[in-house]
Amino acid sequence: MSGLRLLTVGGVIAYRALFNWTTPGMFVGTLLVGPLFQLLFFAYLGRQLQVADDRFYIVGNAVLAASLACVFGGTMAVGNERRYGTLGHVLLSPRSRTAIFLGRAVPYAGNGLLIAVTTLTGGALLLGLRVPPGALPGLALALAVGSLSCACFGLALGAVGLRLRDIWVVSNVSVAVLLLFTGVNVPAAALPGWMAAAGRFLPITHAAEAARVLAAGRGIGAALPAIGREVAVGAAYAVLAAALLTVFEAESRRRASLDTL
Amino acid sequence: MGIAVEAEDLRRTYRSRTGWARARRTEVDAVRGISFSIERGELFGLLGPNGAGKTTTIKMLNTLLIPTSGRARVCGYDVVADTREVRRRIGYVFGGDRGLYDRLSGLDNLRYFAELYGVPPREQKRRIGELLDLVRLTGRERERVEGYSRGMRQRLHIARGLLHRPEVLFLDEPSIGVDPVAARELRGAVADLAAAGTTVLLTTHYMAEADELCDRIAVIADGAIQALGTPAELRARAAGRVGTREPTLEDAYVAIVQPS
Ligand SMILES: Nc1ncnc2c1ncn2[C@@H]1O[C@H](COP(=O)(O)OP(=O)(O)O)[C@@H](O)[C@H]1O
Ligand SMILES: [Mg+2]
Repeated sequence: MSGLRLLTVGGVIAYRALFNWTTPGMFVGTLLVGPLFQLLFFAYLGRQLQVADDRFYIVGNAVLAASLACVFGGTMAVGNERRYGTLGHVLLSPRSRTAIFLGRAVPYAGNGLLIAVTTLTGGALLLGLRVPPGALPGLALALAVGSLSCACFGLALGAVGLRLRDIWVVSNVSVAVLLLFTGVNVPAAALPGWMAAAGRFLPITHAAEAARVLAAGRGIGAALPAIGREVAVGAAYAVLAAALLTVFEAESRRRASLDTL
Repeated sequence: MGIAVEAEDLRRTYRSRTGWARARRTEVDAVRGISFSIERGELFGLLGPNGAGKTTTIKMLNTLLIPTSGRARVCGYDVVADTREVRRRIGYVFGGDRGLYDRLSGLDNLRYFAELYGVPPREQKRRIGELLDLVRLTGRERERVEGYSRGMRQRLHIARGLLHRPEVLFLDEPSIGVDPVAARELRGAVADLAAAGTTVLLTTHYMAEADELCDRIAVIADGAIQALGTPAELRARAAGRVGTREPTLEDAYVAIVQPS
């Protein structure tokens, strides 16, 4: 019960404390308008090159739209403790590290979902894509799962950021890698084999696949395997984040390797 | 009464590597075998020059660092084996500008740490209100911490350290950079806490503060205790070294850390 409170209430306060992009201008510009133009860019490029239809680009880029907020948000959610010098005070808590840190992913996932839904709606309206109404609940699920797994990926980066000063470089590269490796804008079949293979271990890939199946009106049953794979990828990054935090904390107590104060 | 804090031959060596291609290893023996014990309700001072090992000692007692060797117990719990029990019972205040979430209000900082430090949800509101009154931030609690003065930040640090009613409070240079009036209030608050039964371990560079507050004082230098006693006992050691006037704690301190 109180663990749940730490996950939810604690997660939301931590979001406001550590996320740098909560000002309206930053939020609308970076997180809402930017991804919509990216969607339009790839959709028009796709029309020109006749690689795939509008639905491919609209749905894929809508799922990907969450990644910027989730990857950078997740990184900030842990890595910014260093900036404020608060890590030591957090580590003095007797409570579960998993509840403290994994709870922080939840607001970013909600944030990502909002961005993905907005991008999908905007893209569909501007380009005239019709999505069957029956597919909407399934689509919402696919977008939510993609956002959550992306936020857990970000948390794992944030954990590394406790040790690595220049973690933002890694986050930047990650966002670019997601753009390419997840098959969102280049069909996975057209990617070099190793890139497609790496993409299967990244967030977004499977959620985008599920969302395309759903938007094509093929029903939730056809999308569930891909949603399951996205959940597995997200869970793996959550476990990785928790493991890194545990190892780094234990190591810091022995070797003073974290900036605890 | 009972013992609140017990340190037995605590040692801490920092090993660090500098450089990359031709890495050079350096070792610093920050604490070299410190033993002392603090009674429950006692106000114990730890004085010493910069780099003497005061913060390192506190970090071993508050579970942030594992001693290289030696043992320590807080409220009967081993600081290495029973970290969770130790953490439930201790508060830590570290002087300085950092260590708070600047983007949040003072109130939200306290809310978050109340959650982390296990203050029951139903008590949080009342407890936070009491502490805001105690550190005289009531009325300013909804402002972002980034706009707080040094003294206000310092008071917020203290409120945070007290949220979960710790039995043992570690105050590491709490009065650093605080103006004289606020420092006097701080001393009053610390004395009240100790009078109410909280065990306090205080480090400070202000000798008058230590003299006024502490029941006993340990002076450390180079990672070892050089003297331990009541302020009166320490002052008596400097008798005869300062001519005919009454020696102060500062005289005693200088005599201990800079023996001629
Ligand atoms: N994380 C660290 N890595 C290496 N050396 C350290 C570290 N922290 C402190 N030291 C060294 O240990 C010694 C004691 O430091 P500290 O405990 O902070 O002293 P004090 O609090 O009394 O000023 C100093 O020489 C300091 O440079
Ligand atoms: Mg110090």
